[in-house]
Amino acid sequence: MKKGIWQEFDGYEEIAEEIEFSFKAGKERSFDRLMAGQYIRQLHPRQLKLRIVDVIAETASTKTLRLAPVDALLPPFLAGQYIPLFLEINGIRTSRPYSISSQPRQTGYYDITVRRVPDGLVSNYLMDRIKTGDQLDSAGPQGNFHYNPLYHDKHMVCIAGGSGITPFMSMIREIVECGLDRTVTLLYGNRQPDDIIFHEELERISARFDNITYIPVIEKPGKTYTGACGFINAALIREILGSMSDMTFFLCGPQGMYEFCLPELESLGIEKRKIRKEMYGPPDNICDHQGWPSQIEAEDRFEVKILDGRTISVRARDPLLVSLENEGILPPSICRSGECSMCRVKVLSGKVFQPAGTPVRKSDTQFGYVHSCISYPLGDLEIML
Amino acid sequence: MDYDAIVIGAGNGGLTASAALARKGMQVLLLERHNIPGGCATSFCRGRFEFEVALHQLSGLGTPEQPGPLRMTLDSLGVMENLEFVEITDLYSVHMPDGFHASFKPDKNQIIAELKEKFPHENEGIDGFFDLVYKYAGDMIGAFIFRDPEPSREKYPNMYRYAFKNAKAVLDDFFKDPRLKAVISVYWGYLGISADQMAFAYLAMILFQFIEFKPYHVKGGSQALSNAILNSFFTAGGRARFNCGAQRILTEDNQVRGVVTDDGDIVEAPYVVANISPVETYTNLIDKNLIPDNTLQEMNSRTLSNSAFSMFIGFDCEPEALNIAESTNFLMSSTDITRTNHDRMNRIDIQDELLVMSCYDVSDSSFSPPGTCQVNLVTLKYGDPWLDIPPGRYHEVKFRCAESMLCRMEEIYPEIRQHIEEIDVATPLTHMRYLGHPAGSVYGFEHRTRDSLFFQPGRHSPVKGLCFAGGWTGDGGFEPTLRSGVAAAKSILKQTNK
Repeated sequence: MKKGIWQEFDGYEEIAEEIEFSFKAGKERSFDRLMAGQYIRQLHPRQLKLRIVDVIAETASTKTLRLAPVDALLPPFLAGQYIPLFLEINGIRTSRPYSISSQPRQTGYYDITVRRVPDGLVSNYLMDRIKTGDQLDSAGPQGNFHYNPLYHDKHMVCIAGGSGITPFMSMIREIVECGLDRTVTLLYGNRQPDDIIFHEELERISARFDNITYIPVIEKPGKTYTGACGFINAALIREILGSMSDMTFFLCGPQGMYEFCLPELESLGIEKRKIRKEMYGPPDNICDHQGWPSQIEAEDRFEVKILDGRTISVRARDPLLVSLENEGILPPSICRSGECSMCRVKVLSGKVFQPAGTPVRKSDTQFGYVHSCISYPLGDLEIML
Repeated sequence: MDYDAIVIGAGNGGLTASAALARKGMQVLLLERHNIPGGCATSFCRGRFEFEVALHQLSGLGTPEQPGPLRMTLDSLGVMENLEFVEITDLYSVHMPDGFHASFKPDKNQIIAELKEKFPHENEGIDGFFDLVYKYAGDMIGAFIFRDPEPSREKYPNMYRYAFKNAKAVLDDFFKDPRLKAVISVYWGYLGISADQMAFAYLAMILFQFIEFKPYHVKGGSQALSNAILNSFFTAGGRARFNCGAQRILTEDNQVRGVVTDDGDIVEAPYVVANISPVETYTNLIDKNLIPDNTLQEMNSRTLSNSAFSMFIGFDCEPEALNIAESTNFLMSSTDITRTNHDRMNRIDIQDELLVMSCYDVSDSSFSPPGTCQVNLVTLKYGDPWLDIPPGRYHEVKFRCAESMLCRMEEIYPEIRQHIEEIDVATPLTHMRYLGHPAGSVYGFEHRTRDSLFFQPGRHSPVKGLCFAGGWTGDGGFEPTLRSGVAAAKSILKQTNK
C-alpha cells in the first residue's frame, strides 16, 4: 500500500483493514468480462452466419429468402427492424440493409423479401444467383423503425410503397399471430396490381381480424380495377380514417413517396411527432435532388485521395461509399441511408453534396465528417477514413 | 519502432493522452474499436435530435479570468478555440412527488439561503456544514494542490479529521431532517456510491468545485469535446485507426514492445497507454504471467461500479411548455441515503430510485432544433442483473423499465406525454455493448474511500511502458478522465525527457 501523510488521517486503520479484507474476498474479474461479451453477442452479434433454407417466389419481381442461423441462435428483434447483408459480388464487397418480413416471435428464421431493382447490383444477385443452401453473412438486427410502446399510438397507420411493405408485414404478422392489442390501417401503394407483394395474405388477414385494415392503392390501374387508385393523398387518408387523433403514422417506401405523402399528412394537420419514416437508401438520382449544383453532371469524374492511401477515380452520381467499395476500400456500413453514421469519413479538402436534413452530428459537421453512403463528390477530394 | 506510443481507446483519457503526446512531438497511433471518438463522451442522432449521451455538468472549467484545472488542461491541448462552453446558471434542483422543490444556484450564499428557507429548523447546521465544506476544501488545496512540503494536523485539521469519514456520518453530525440530508448529498449519483459508503471528501470537493468553478455544458455536446481533442491530435501529426482496437499488447523482458491490432497488424512502440479497463488489459491483452500476483489480487479486490439506465427524450416544444425551468434536476422519491438506497441499483425495475434529468436547452436554446428540447433521464443500475434476462425478453424488460421511468418524470412534469417526438433507451447492456466494460460499468471501479488514489495504483502498471488513462485509473466523470490522459502523457514524456 502507498505511503503518505494520509496514514495519519483519522480512520486510516479501518480503511487499511478493509483493504486487507477485500484482498482476501476478491472475485475473479475475467468472468465479468466474459459474461458481458457472451450476452452482447447474443443480442447484437457483429457477425451472424445465415443459410438460405427456402426461396419463396412472391411476385414476378420479388422473392422472399428464408434465412436460418448456421451456428448460433437468432438474435431477437423488434418488428420493423432490418439486418445488414455483407456480400461479395463480381469481386466487389458491399452491404445492404433488408427489413425482416417475418415476425419476431418466430425465432427459427428471418425472412427478407427482395425486389429486383433494374441494374441493381445486389438485388439481381439475390434474385438470380442465390439458392437454397447458400450461406450469407449478416449481423444483428437494428434500426429504429418499430412500434415503440412508450409513445406511439396503438392505432398505427402504415403507408407503404412497393417493397416498403416488408417491415409492416413483420408488424402485422406479429400483431395477429400473437394477439397484440394494436390496430393497423395499411395503405399500400403499387404501380400495378401485379406488383403487390403479400396481397393474398393481407386480404386474408384483414378479412379475419377486425384490427387490421388493408387498402391497396394502385397508381396506374387497368380499366376494370375497382379499388383505390392514384397516389396515397390527403383526401384518401381522410376518407379512410375519418378522425386522425390518437394515431401514429408509419411510412416506408421510395423517396418519391415521402416527397408526396409527407406534405399530404402535413395538410391534414398531423403533428411531426406522430409521423415515423423509415430510411430507404440513397436517392435514385441524386442530380435531381434539391440543392444539387446544376453545373455538375452525373457522369462527371473526380479524384479522391485517401490519406495514407491510394487515389481513386469516382463518379459524381455515385455515393462516396459505393466508389470506395468499388475500389476495395471498405468503411463499415450498416444502414446505407445516411442515418447510422457507421460509414462516416473526414473530408480534408474538397466539397461533397450531402442532402439537407441528413442526420449528421453538429460537431461532425464542424470538423468535416460526412456520412459517405449519402455523400457525393462535387470535385476532387482528400479524405481520411 | 513504428511509433513512440500507442494509445488503446479513444475515450476521454485516451484522447487527451494522445493529443498531449503528439503535441510534444511524439509519433502516436490511436486505436479505437468504435467508429467514432469519445467513448462515453459522445452523441447520436434520432430524427431531428442529436442526443447527448453522458455529459450532465462539466466541472473544473472556471472562467478565462479564473481558470479551473480543466480549462488549463484543455488550453494546453489547444482545443479551446474550437469549443464553445455554456455556463449552466443553476447548480441543481431537487423535485419530490409531494411538491417539494428546492433550486440551487452555483453560489454558496444562495444555497445556504435556499436551504434555510426550506429547512428553517436546521439553520445552524446548514451554516456549520458549508463552513466545514469550505474549510475542508481549503485544507486539501493547501496540502495537495499546492503540495505543501510539510503538511501537518495542526495546519490542516479538517483534512486529517474528515478525509476518511463517510459523508452520512458528517451529515448526521449537522442535521436531523432526513430530507435535508438527501437533498444536500444528492450528488452521490455522480459517484455511484451511497452517502454512508462515500467519503465526505468526495461530497465536499464536488460541491466546492461546482460552486467555485461553476457547472458548464459545451455546444454540440460532449461529442464536440471529443472531436475537438481528436482534431488537435491530428493537427499535431497523430494517426488514428477507428473500427480497430488492440487484441494483444506485446512485451519483451517485461517491457512493452507494441500491440497486435484487431486487424492482425503488429505495430511496435515502447509505450502503450490503455484507455480500457485493467480487467480487459490484464485478463485478455497481456501475458498473464507478466502480471505479479499482488496486482491481480488488487484488481480482483475492487468492485465494479454501476452501469446506468438512460432515456433520451426529444420533445416538440420548448422546455417552458413542460415546466422545465432548470438544467439539472434530481427527481427524488426516497430520502434514504444508506446502503439500502444503494441496493436499489441491483434491481432491474425502476420504482423509487433517484433520477437525474438534464435539459441542456434551458442554458443553451440552440442545443436542440428551434421549438424543441431534449432531456437525458438517468438512473444508476448495476449491470449484472441484466445478464439474467433471457435475450428474447430483453426488449420487453427495457420498455417496461422505461415506462416506469416516464411515469416518474410525469409526476413532476405532467405535460410530457403530449409532446414526445423521439425516445431512445440505453440499458446497462447498451453500455456493455458500446463501452466494452465488464458489467457495463460507467464509472470504472467503485469509488469507496478505499478506492481513492491514496490507496490504489492509479495509472501505474507493473509492466514497463504500460500505463492507464480514463475512469478506471481513479475518479470517474469528465474532468478527472480528461485530466488522467494528460497525466499519463506527462509520465511518459518524463521518461523520454521530451
